[in-house]
Amino acid sequence: MEEVIKVNELSKSYNGQCAIKNISLSVKRGMVFGLLGANGAGKSTTIECILGTKKSDYGTVSILGMNPQTERKKIFEKVGVQFQEANYQEKITVGELCEVTQSLYKSAANYHDLLKQFGIYDKLKSFVCELSGGQRQRLFIILALIPNPEVVFLDELTTGLDAKARRDVWKCLSDLKIKGLTIFLTSHFMDEVEALCDNICILKKGQIIFYGTIQEAIASSPFEKFEDAYLWYTDEEEENNENISNNA
Amino acid sequence: MKTFRTMLKTEIMISLRGMDMFIFAICMPLVVLIILGIIYGNKPAFDGAEYTFLQQSFGALVTISICAGGVMGLPLVISDYRSKKILKRFQVTPISPVIILTVQVVIYTIYALLSLLLIYITATNFFHYQLEGSWLHFLFGYFLVMLSMFSIGMMVGGIAPNIKMASIIASILYFPMLIFSGATLPYEVMPPALQKIADILPLTHGIKLLKGASLGLPIDHVLMPIIIMIVLAVICIGISIRFFKWE
Repeated sequence: MEEVIKVNELSKSYNGQCAIKNISLSVKRGMVFGLLGANGAGKSTTIECILGTKKSDYGTVSILGMNPQTERKKIFEKVGVQFQEANYQEKITVGELCEVTQSLYKSAANYHDLLKQFGIYDKLKSFVCELSGGQRQRLFIILALIPNPEVVFLDELTTGLDAKARRDVWKCLSDLKIKGLTIFLTSHFMDEVEALCDNICILKKGQIIFYGTIQEAIASSPFEKFEDAYLWYTDEEEENNENISNNA
Repeated sequence: MKTFRTMLKTEIMISLRGMDMFIFAICMPLVVLIILGIIYGNKPAFDGAEYTFLQQSFGALVTISICAGGVMGLPLVISDYRSKKILKRFQVTPISPVIILTVQVVIYTIYALLSLLLIYITATNFFHYQLEGSWLHFLFGYFLVMLSMFSIGMMVGGIAPNIKMASIIASILYFPMLIFSGATLPYEVMPPALQKIADILPLTHGIKLLKGASLGLPIDHVLMPIIIMIVLAVICIGISIRFFKWE
């Protein structure tokens, strides 16, 4: 299968502090890839270095066979991005934001359909700042889907959504996956990761501590549930430290 | 083109909802015109002058809107969009930063032209104003002043690290220029010491240029202002392009 995202030995530090180190990963077409880790583990830095909004110190990235630093305009015709923090003009309406976003692309999806699909079509004329957290989150997923992308990057996909809305979003993404969309996401919800992701990568302090499928993650841990396994991967070192300090 | 049109339409709506440019770029110049018109009417600019006070001030009044848009509006909107990470969202789309900036420049140009039109119509209809010089020269000067003022704004918006700094720098540039360059308070009524200080401000030279053009004064009076405006524009545009940052 074709490799859509290819990352090789990516490293980045801020003021001498290492944010991510030696990140290598590969995402094939039609796959859902989950980047996991605690807050501050380097997820956002990794995404930003992959997208080229931050310049990595070392390593190479290719998306759809192109370099995001040098072929920005070409890549982002086919790549949709939802950033962690929503960013929009203060006095812009939902319809306007969608219309402007649509106008940026050569071939874009009909945003009316997407708004209906995600259940916020009645908000078309509302100001974005008046939406509830969940509605806004859905809107920003829609914005990422407007380019009719081959790949989407979703940073903290369902943070702020209620249980029902999260399920709805999963359903939409699963449908899109069936149609061949490649999805790169970060999430703090392990049920979501289990439901959606084919492959995961767990980051800790900027380094990869696990890379593989969910089954593999469970199998190489002493636990049977994925959430426990995840916590085991991310907490291991703290426990060791605690043991050391307890012994001392 | 589709991108440009849609963005322009939306950004105009957003700007109008904000109201501040409507007040500072459209209403304020008109109010100053009416006040000057009522106080000085058609009195000669000074004893024995061949032109009226209002004719002398016309060139200054039309810069109020340029100044509001260029030095206040532009830098604030650019740094606001950067600090709200709106530019960062655009960075992961195919849009060119030139289009984003051009849209804003066009919006403030529209405000300025609208203000020029309103001032001209009001002055001719209510205060018997007539433009003595050639429209061609006047418009040349007008767009030159606009170019240099807008380039200052682009530079401030481009290099200010955050919205707070942008707003401080914009205020430091805007208010002295508005009051002391002759845009509102006529240069001619200032004491000579104040005039010397006013001469430091770039807009003062822009206003001299427009005065010369609107009164039909010979070109050698305005050569220096023309050079100053062009040099300023080149420097500021150069800096703002060189230091453009998405984030």
